[in-house]
Amino acid sequence: MSRFRPSFFIPFIAFLWLAIIGGMALQSTLSGNRNPSQLPSVLIGKAVPDMALPLLQDRQTKLALGNFQGQPLLVNFFASWCAPCRAEAPALEQLSEQITIVGIAYKDRRSDTVEFLQQYGNPFTAIGMDIDGRAGIVWGLYGVPETYLIDTAGRISWRHAGPLTRDVITTQLLPQMANL
Amino acid sequence: MTRHLPHISVIIGFAIGFIIGAGLLTPATIGTAHALTAEEMLADPVLESRARYLSKQLRCLVCQNQSIDDSDANLAKDLRREVRTQLVAGQTNEAILSDLRAKYGDYVLLAPPLARDTIALWLAPVGFILLGIAITLGMRRRAGQIDSGSGSISSADRGRIDALKRRHENLNKRDTK
Repeated sequence: MSRFRPSFFIPFIAFLWLAIIGGMALQSTLSGNRNPSQLPSVLIGKAVPDMALPLLQDRQTKLALGNFQGQPLLVNFFASWCAPCRAEAPALEQLSEQITIVGIAYKDRRSDTVEFLQQYGNPFTAIGMDIDGRAGIVWGLYGVPETYLIDTAGRISWRHAGPLTRDVITTQLLPQMANL
Repeated sequence: MTRHLPHISVIIGFAIGFIIGAGLLTPATIGTAHALTAEEMLADPVLESRARYLSKQLRCLVCQNQSIDDSDANLAKDLRREVRTQLVAGQTNEAILSDLRAKYGDYVLLAPPLARDTIALWLAPVGFILLGIAITLGMRRRAGQIDSGSGSISSADRGRIDALKRRHENLNKRDTK
């Protein structure tokens, strides 16, 4: 009856194991190292998809990202209907002093985009129109705002889904830009 | 061990069976409401059924646990249209899936592909079933050993057991009178 049975400890070991895994996941989420909703882009290291989008100012001319090759580039998907894009506008304005930024207006009307830029500033060197959202799909876009850092060879080296906060810029974007 | 409770392996067996059964049944019973609107549908019924078939396998990336066939999200709608555009352009099912995989990663597929980093995920259910069978067989064998007696009881003990059994039977006879 009182014989020592190792199987008695199996539930305890199983529980301990689950508790350790759960604890580790919770710890890394709370400390901000892990964000389950941020999925890495599979396009990292790949060439930018060149979509030949019509420009905001002139629909006959197409946006050619290839023209920017040889310099680092920030591509920012935004929309006038997107609230976080408004919050992000000052940060983009500041960044535009350090790096060329190309904007892609995602599923937006030209008149709305123009109004948005008048109100919140225009940090963009060029703006392409992705009226039906197809370019978004080709870029693997989740939503707006979303920002891609392009290296001098025209490859995507970093992506951020969501607004560029001060924290994201200082801890991720600026170190990435320094590496280019 | 309490005999009136079902054996732990039976409980585990039922639990596994229930989980598998629920997984197989839910798409058929619950998946009746979908977000597809009439104007999105293709005129060609063959292409449309292929579009529906593909849409059910693709994840709505902003809702994350719905297929694009089920989701009302704008991105899901755009992806449905993308699937249909590519179908009309004559692409095969495999080409469409691999194209979206190249843009959004394996995550866009609701069923993760069998690869080196997902092999544990795919083999885990089989492993758990085998583990359950092994535990059940092991417990049965041990129970069998106890019942049949392994011959390690000395003749003196055997005599005492027989004496106790006789006494027990006599007591029972007296009680039933």
